[in-house]
Amino acid sequence: MSFNVLIVDDSSSMRAVIKKIVSISGFKMDQCTEAGNGKEALDTLAGNWVDVIISDINMPEMNGFELLGILKKDNLLKDIPVIFITTESSEKRMQDAFNLGANGFIKKPFTPEEVKRTLYEVIGVSDEGEYEEDRGDNEAFDF
Amino acid sequence: MKENMKKIEETMRLSIFEVFEKMFYIFLEPLNDESDEYDMDAAIRFKGSMSGEIRILLSMDIVKTMIQNMLGLKEDKITTQRMEDCSKEAVNVICGNFLGKLNSSKVFNLLPTVFGEGSDEKSRDSGLSENICRMDFDSDGGRVGIVATLSDQIGRVVDCSATNRPLAP
Repeated sequence: MSFNVLIVDDSSSMRAVIKKIVSISGFKMDQCTEAGNGKEALDTLAGNWVDVIISDINMPEMNGFELLGILKKDNLLKDIPVIFITTESSEKRMQDAFNLGANGFIKKPFTPEEVKRTLYEVIGVSDEGEYEEDRGDNEAFDF
Repeated sequence: MKENMKKIEETMRLSIFEVFEKMFYIFLEPLNDESDEYDMDAAIRFKGSMSGEIRILLSMDIVKTMIQNMLGLKEDKITTQRMEDCSKEAVNVICGNFLGKLNSSKVFNLLPTVFGEGSDEKSRDSGLSENICRMDFDSDGGRVGIVATLSDQIGRVVDCSATNRPLAP
């Protein structure tokens, strides 16, 4: 099973870095779409289904927190997991993100392993790409 | 104040090593003498319980190595825009990492990074004090320098959250 990822960051270089890190991490990525800020992300989401969003916080036009707030009010989009990748590492900022409904938080600099682990955690699948809740059922058929 | 500056320097050094190793796969060696062999710089200012500015100085060689290692690009694909992005991202991440290590319970406002502009004059104009630390590093890929200019309130920020960490590599 592979997953569609939306990367939101105002730096095209940083988007390229995140895409590369996700690719080499071993995470099973299908399509990867990119957006330069929250507004562009909403436009992308109008025409593409994504399984997980990786977003920066500080961006022009619409920042990551504003994007998350809009997603949480949208019945179609509210369940898409959102991971913030940011240089900001204060505990309060992290707590603010989780209070708003963020599912994960990755501090820069990050390793491919950290990214992969967080992606699978927020999607709710094991490293092998199986849904966590299905694992017990699968074992029952494993004779 | 001297004790605080020493802790700040050690924390800054740790952050620089961590960022260059994890993000750019570059291992730095501290230089004892200041170097002026730099081709570009990027600066970021921060405000909060402590204010200041961090400026990164980079040789052309190391910026190219950083981009090649980070993005896997060949040298002929490296543009001026990529070099600017990379320099700004590096100082941004170092600043966030440094402030988090110094005191993760405080919230700092990071201002947009500025590329290629000298910032010493700006620091003096804004009333920042003489709490300046300068570090230079060498590597197989080129040279890096860091100039951190900090406000007088450093004693309020350097608390046990910084001293509990193993500071020396």
